Amino acid sequence: MTRRRLVLAALGVVVAAWILGGEWVSIHAHVPENHLIDALGGLAFLVAGLIALDRRPEYSIGTLMIAFAVVSYFGNWGNLQVAMVPLVGLAGQQFGAAILAQTALSYPTGRLRTRFERVVIGVIYGVGAATCAVIVLAFDPRADGCARCAWEPAPFPSRPAVLTALLVSQRAGAVLVSLFLAAVWLRWRRSTPAERRALTPLWAGICIIGVVYLLGAFASPDTTGDPFAYLIWELQSVLQMTLPAVFVWGLLSARLARSAVGDLVVEFERPLRPGELRTLLARTLGDSSLELLFALRDPPRWVDADGRASDLSAAISDAGLNRRATVTVADLAGQPLAALVHDPALDQGLVRAVAVAAGIRIENERLHADVRAQLEEVRASRQRIVEAGDRERRRVERNLHDGAQQRLAALALSLAMLRDRARADAALAGSLDQTAAELRRAIAELRELARGIHPAILTEEGLPAAVDSLAARSSVPVHVHADFDERLAEPVEAVGYFVVSESIANVVKYSGACAARVDLSRTDGVLVVEVSDDGVGGADPSRGSGLRGLEDRVAAVRGAFSVQSPPGGGTRIRAEIPCAG
Amino acid sequence: MTRSVLIVDDHPGFRAQARALLAASGYEIVGEAADGASGVRVAMDLSPDVVLLDVQLPDVTGFDLVGRMRGRPDPPAIILISSRDAGDYGGRISRCGAQGFITKAELSGSTLAAALTGLADD
Repeated sequence: MTRRRLVLAALGVVVAAWILGGEWVSIHAHVPENHLIDALGGLAFLVAGLIALDRRPEYSIGTLMIAFAVVSYFGNWGNLQVAMVPLVGLAGQQFGAAILAQTALSYPTGRLRTRFERVVIGVIYGVGAATCAVIVLAFDPRADGCARCAWEPAPFPSRPAVLTALLVSQRAGAVLVSLFLAAVWLRWRRSTPAERRALTPLWAGICIIGVVYLLGAFASPDTTGDPFAYLIWELQSVLQMTLPAVFVWGLLSARLARSAVGDLVVEFERPLRPGELRTLLARTLGDSSLELLFALRDPPRWVDADGRASDLSAAISDAGLNRRATVTVADLAGQPLAALVHDPALDQGLVRAVAVAAGIRIENERLHADVRAQLEEVRASRQRIVEAGDRERRRVERNLHDGAQQRLAALALSLAMLRDRARADAALAGSLDQTAAELRRAIAELRELARGIHPAILTEEGLPAAVDSLAARSSVPVHVHADFDERLAEPVEAVGYFVVSESIANVVKYSGACAARVDLSRTDGVLVVEVSDDGVGGADPSRGSGLRGLEDRVAAVRGAFSVQSPPGGGTRIRAEIPCAG
Repeated sequence: MTRSVLIVDDHPGFRAQARALLAASGYEIVGEAADGASGVRVAMDLSPDVVLLDVQLPDVTGFDLVGRMRGRPDPPAIILISSRDAGDYGGRISRCGAQGFITKAELSGSTLAAALTGLADD
């Protein structure tokens, strides 16, 4: 037995002696009450308090429960008609209700959370203290018939004053209980799902006891003479006795939940689907909001199961503001493996037990997440390369337009002027005409080259117009149908355009088709580009770089690419390109 | 009747050749501008019959200038010019309100006259 448990055992013996001694005093004073219920109630709080101190030494809830057990018996000991005992007994018992209210409202940690809760508990203590003060100033036990109570009389002995103070305190109970129930209701509203699950039995019990206390506030102070007042008094005792059981059940429920860890380990015998680990942990912990983030090392960062970068503080914030999420880091040999972002009401020991039980699976999933993160980086890098290529194409086209094409245009005008002046010289005129024709061909070829590098119409007018322009220049008739005319993001338009451009080039070169069709549609944030023809089919993406290059381009923007080209059955090329926003 | 022409283009070499070519064809070149802002200002000052307006200017596109130049009383006829061909601009040429379009290498007195009479084949 540890030293702490020895201390607890000693404390238990002392307080049990206090309770049983108090009950013995009540019995000998012939106090009309059910002594068995009374004693069991006190002992129940003592046992619950000891269990709480043993299980949760970091929480003050156990101390509060034992304090309540002790304070409740001041009244019993007050029946010992000797010296100052009746005064101390009567004064001390005034704080019982306040301690009980504090215990219930601060369960399971023993800490009050909000200013309202502190005010409510403070007011209840204040009323107790005020009543206690009146008792200390005015209580004269000899006037109550205590012949053996020999001490200096109170400064202002007044039996009516004490009775009035007790009555006022009892009637004020109606307001205090109402305030207390309001605080319970507010706490219920602010609590997390896990807290609600854990605390529902307690709060239900508290509400029932609260209602009984509310009735008690209107009952007669004389519990011996008035049957209704006596009934309320006994009802309070019986119901109070159930509270420690609920407290202990709440504290032990985390231990019960730990048996679920065993089920979790059994689940690990089978292979898990990607992301299933989070679901299993969430189910075991009873926290559907659980987030599982994995620690990668080079560079240090947090990612989700898909390898997507995740800001841990943002994840906590997303899980709910107002401290509705907390983080438990699972590690291996000092290296963090994963972070469980979970409901703060969960038992820390349980979360740690689950994290340890799932250690190998977490490491396994972490490695998968690492691979996915690397794949994601490669994909992002490929997208950046493609986009940089597109930007470079636009720049080259622009340079051709601003440089060589402008100079050639000026040259063409210069030639036209010379040709005009050489009208009289037929030979020179003919030579100049040939030069001008050659220059026009060069300009046309340069324009076609520039268009192939990056079509200006795509930048100017967008995808449908650029595809119309492609179709208009094609030697095979191409019918274009587009169900949108708005602009899309530049990388999306570029990929869509080159899919159509390459596909139409293939139609012209290889398909032997009489006609082709281009369909452009935009649905649910996806641009669908479909090019079909009635040619010979048999196109194979694995042969030749054209279709393979298109496939890579589409994949770089997270798109899907497919080719259907049965021999003799025409070719259908389809690209689906995400274009959200 | 001699028609006055303003040339708005950012390439000095092209402006010089166009000026000489059109002058030889009987047009009066009343001014030149190298960007959109000065093009609008000179057009206001000189009130030319025709503005030869480059599509790609350093500060603005020719498409954007057409509306501003056409929005005044007695507006000039505006002919867009570019080293690209009309197909590279899709429907923007017809939508912007310009009288016509001439590829720069094809510019001559006759193509300009054809564009102004709506006979230009873009």
